[in-house]
Amino acid sequence: MRTGDYKQTYGELVALVDSPPVWLWSAVLLLALIAAPFVLNSYALSFVIIILITVTGALGLNILTGYTGLISLGHVGFLVTGAYAYAVLVSKYHMPPLVGFLGAGVVPALASLIVGAPSLRLKGLYLAITTLAFSFIINTVILEMRWLTNGARGIQVQRPEILGVSFDSDAAFTYLCLAIAALTLLATLNIRRSRVGRAFVAIRDNDTAARVMGINLHAYKLFAFVTSAFITGIAGALYGIYLSFVSVEGFPFLLSIEALAILIVGGLGSALGAVLGTVLIVLLPEATRLVFSLFSAQMDATFTTGAQELKSMLYGLVIILFLRFQPRGLVGAWHDIKRAWVHWPLRY
Amino acid sequence: MQYLIQLLISGLAIGAIYGLIAMGFAVIYKSTGLVNFAQGEMTMITAYIAWTISTTVSGNVFVVAAGAILAAVLLGLIIERLVMRPMLGEPVFATVMVTIGLAVILRSAINFIWDAYPHGLDIGMGRGIVHLGSIGVRTGQLAVIATLLLLLAAIWAFFRYSKVGVAMRAVAADDRTALLMGISATRVHALAWAASSVIAGIGGVFFALSYDLSPAMFQLGLKAFPATILGGLDAVLGSGIGGLLIGITENLAGGYLGSGMKEVAGFAMIIVVLMVRPFGIFGERDIERV
Repeated sequence: MRTGDYKQTYGELVALVDSPPVWLWSAVLLLALIAAPFVLNSYALSFVIIILITVTGALGLNILTGYTGLISLGHVGFLVTGAYAYAVLVSKYHMPPLVGFLGAGVVPALASLIVGAPSLRLKGLYLAITTLAFSFIINTVILEMRWLTNGARGIQVQRPEILGVSFDSDAAFTYLCLAIAALTLLATLNIRRSRVGRAFVAIRDNDTAARVMGINLHAYKLFAFVTSAFITGIAGALYGIYLSFVSVEGFPFLLSIEALAILIVGGLGSALGAVLGTVLIVLLPEATRLVFSLFSAQMDATFTTGAQELKSMLYGLVIILFLRFQPRGLVGAWHDIKRAWVHWPLRY
Repeated sequence: MQYLIQLLISGLAIGAIYGLIAMGFAVIYKSTGLVNFAQGEMTMITAYIAWTISTTVSGNVFVVAAGAILAAVLLGLIIERLVMRPMLGEPVFATVMVTIGLAVILRSAINFIWDAYPHGLDIGMGRGIVHLGSIGVRTGQLAVIATLLLLLAAIWAFFRYSKVGVAMRAVAADDRTALLMGISATRVHALAWAASSVIAGIGGVFFALSYDLSPAMFQLGLKAFPATILGGLDAVLGSGIGGLLIGITENLAGGYLGSGMKEVAGFAMIIVVLMVRPFGIFGERDIERV
């Protein structure tokens, strides 16, 4: 039982987790995810895969928007760049998949330098608009570079075989996504508790003050862009492999909105929030469909015909409702519940 | 030469539509400090309502125009009251994200209420062709340029001379002081939303008149972004003129560099403008005090 916040050294303040039970529950979750392919049917497993890929992407955006406070409306641009980098390297030039994944990270990271550089002078809304513009420009660039990207025809992608291990089956692919998502989670948590992460948060909270304290704004903002784009690009490659076909249409602008919705729903600036938000946002359309189908078959039919519209409508509603009633997101709600549990019947 | 003039004129015509929508952005930004990402969708709804009126009630120009303006005013007021006002005092990030959420909702609502097929708005005019020398221009294209110029003059006079216009500028400059001077900031915000909805709606109706209604019309809002960035987010007149410039640039890029360039010319311009002069040609520089 936890009886208080006993922080006695500076080291404890930046520890990865602040209590042993968190390790236990993380291990339980990991085991459950490892067991998932044996227990779940392929339909449910597809949701697990989507959640794991989306978590990776959301954690990438979280570094930029959550930690550093730079709003990006064009994250789908990095996603699609990553997917194309992988597809071109692996499907077209027959490189090993590991090189493909490296490229899927590096190419968006380079692209992010191009978007990041002008945006160093910009804040808030202006930055959001620049990134939005970037995501449209990148689509046109991809469509125009036919010799490399096949233009509108897209590129077929096979499931990879890494170091002799084939990830062709859904179960194996789940493990690949799980490994990458877990590594990303660890990486972002570690970035957050390092000197770099503290600099990011300082820039988010007050950039002028951060600068006065000796933080190089340009370097750290660019670093946030590069890291974020690298992670997002790898998520894009995974998504491309999952779709088994990379095209501009496979990465609609709605994905940018979805990513922001995840961060808002989960709670901005928290890795746990990104995970919780992803689970909620990915399962929300399906859950709504189930609830509706309980009422009548006709509503179920509406859902299948207008799936895309209803999905985006749900995202919009969720964004507005959370911002209005629970701006700190699911993580905020979780903290409130924990506090109430510990202090009950006292208020604090 | 004739090709160039043709490009310029059609650029001016589409630019006038961008300009109208960009003015919608600027009116809201100027009085509330927000970028309304749902502007394109609001424009689209007004245009669809105009089309519904023209097909069900009457195709008369005045009926359609009055109905569309009324609908736009109501739309602006409802959105302000139900969605934006509860967010008053919240951080800009939250409010702007709310407009993004709103945009997504409106977009899919349009697909549900109306269908996904393109429609032409037919009110018996606007599609005729006038010959200026050897160049053919649609009357609708001339009308939208004229409307933009008229509205620019009217809005300039409104902000310069009318009491309400001065009040709006006061709220934009410093909402607390404005409150102390007896100006109701919430009313001004409501007015701004209604006005923005009408100005952009007019652009939408003209678009439907010269081109076609389709579910992809919300992209007009994205196309009008460069215009308002170029003109200055807080410059209503500048945004209108920015629209014309973007329209011409886009058409010239499309005519001489290829159709892919037409789509992104505006966005490429945004990035250049933001690098060189982030507050736009006519906007005011933001000075940050510690």
